[in-house]
Amino acid sequence: MTMLQVSDLTFKIGSTQILNGVDFTIEAGETVGIIGPNGSGKTTLFNCLSGFHIPSGGAIVYQDKSITKMKPYRRAELGIGRVFQNFAVFKEMTVSENIVTALESRMSPWKTFFPWSKQNKINKQKALEYLKEVGLEEKAEDKAGSLSGGQMRLLEIIRTLAFGAELFLLDEPTAGVSPKMKEDVANLIKLLMKEGKTIIVIEHDINFIHKFCKRIIVLDVGRVVLDDTPENIRTSPVLQEVYFGNGKAANG
Amino acid sequence: MDYGIHLLILICIYTILAQGLNIPFGVGHLFNLAHVAVYAVGAYTTALFSTELGIGFWGCIYSSMAIAGLFSLFIGGISLKLSHDYFAIGTIAFSSVISALLINWKSVTRGVLGIPGIPRPELFGIDFYENSNFLVLVAVAMVIVQFVLYVFLRNSYGRTLRAQSEYEQGALSLAKNTVRARTVSFLISSCAAGLAGSFYAYYINYIDPSSFSLVEMIFVLTIVVVGKPGSFWGITASTAFLVLLPEPLRFIDIPPSILGPMRQMLYSLILFGVVWWKKETLFPVERTV
Repeated sequence: MTMLQVSDLTFKIGSTQILNGVDFTIEAGETVGIIGPNGSGKTTLFNCLSGFHIPSGGAIVYQDKSITKMKPYRRAELGIGRVFQNFAVFKEMTVSENIVTALESRMSPWKTFFPWSKQNKINKQKALEYLKEVGLEEKAEDKAGSLSGGQMRLLEIIRTLAFGAELFLLDEPTAGVSPKMKEDVANLIKLLMKEGKTIIVIEHDINFIHKFCKRIIVLDVGRVVLDDTPENIRTSPVLQEVYFGNGKAANG
Repeated sequence: MDYGIHLLILICIYTILAQGLNIPFGVGHLFNLAHVAVYAVGAYTTALFSTELGIGFWGCIYSSMAIAGLFSLFIGGISLKLSHDYFAIGTIAFSSVISALLINWKSVTRGVLGIPGIPRPELFGIDFYENSNFLVLVAVAMVIVQFVLYVFLRNSYGRTLRAQSEYEQGALSLAKNTVRARTVSFLISSCAAGLAGSFYAYYINYIDPSSFSLVEMIFVLTIVVVGKPGSFWGITASTAFLVLLPEPLRFIDIPPSILGPMRQMLYSLILFGVVWWKKETLFPVERTV
């Protein structure tokens, strides 16, 4: 089944063209990496997918539904989960409240209307189970702002899982994460794969992406320049050109 | 004794007002400067309905809440499309419109003369002209409002409001309808303000535009900031504290013409001091994608 189909997607701010007709298709259950130099439009592409930018042209189809102009929260309702580059955990909330907030999204608000409702206790219990998956159960009552970068990333990813996302958009999951914890992030992504989730991950570290992606898309100046297996990408002369410049394609 | 009861009634009214502001401002970080204007709408609704139309207590408090709520939907519908600082400017513009209306729409509001002779309610055969009886009435209202706001602060809706104030895109990615959450916060707070206005009109028996000026807004803002925005008991405690704070000044031999401005300066200094002292933690830094 096709999970996501992006066709001829363009986006511009003023007269600057950021995306120049991006085309790709993601099948359900796939794990795809997106790489490309700074300014190649990776995060802009994600913002178009999650609805923070409305594309100037082209179409996005998610599970046979056109979502090109849909509001961000509606897309999330459909199951598109986003993990941000700069930590979107709610730092003033406790770690478990972060998960509870995500769990509540798919519930009738009346079930959790009174702070003492039974559902709130159940949600709290569920939150602890999710936190155990990433080894954060001891931090459950701490403020999320007190976590380290790596822990925040784990929390954000597990929160998106608790929310019930089907398609995960991970924007540089290892940014701001200590080398030691990169392994934990990789394990969590593998857990998502085991649950059958579809994952698109932006990453600079090609070795990290290699651990789980069987397909990599290379973006440059708002276009897909390569879409292949990691092995073929590594040896491709196009990649050299994109990153180190070979005359015309040079672009920081 | 009477003086003590008077202060307790004021504390109850201001608690309703300040707890109302705490929802959008303290929890949702919406810098709503139209709160006192909505409070005025509530007070004038009760004043006009009871003196001109002879509507009773229940009719007046419900219509005050309803009209204040409708009014807030109008302000919210326009201002909530503005972000952050522009939202504050938008709400302050609306509150100026209300002030101008109260002063200049003389055929309805009687302008600066105000509306006198608002009758105190009579319910269950109890005469609320007696201040001690009125205190019981307003205290019951305060407890009910506090209960309702407590529920909203601590349930899933409150979490949505907190989430959107911290990181809007993060909340949107969890399928939270943030615009609706903000509108609801506005609606709840305005109903509380309308109710507070209604009780204020009933209590003082006479209202005029000077009771609903920017000075009043600063006072309510000071209550919320001193009580720590977003907290619950903190707001209640700081209301009592700030209503009582300038009272000892009355016993010093100062002419009333100086006493009034002194109170205003005191509140402004407290507001400034707390914002300065707590500037890092009062509101966390905004984040964007």
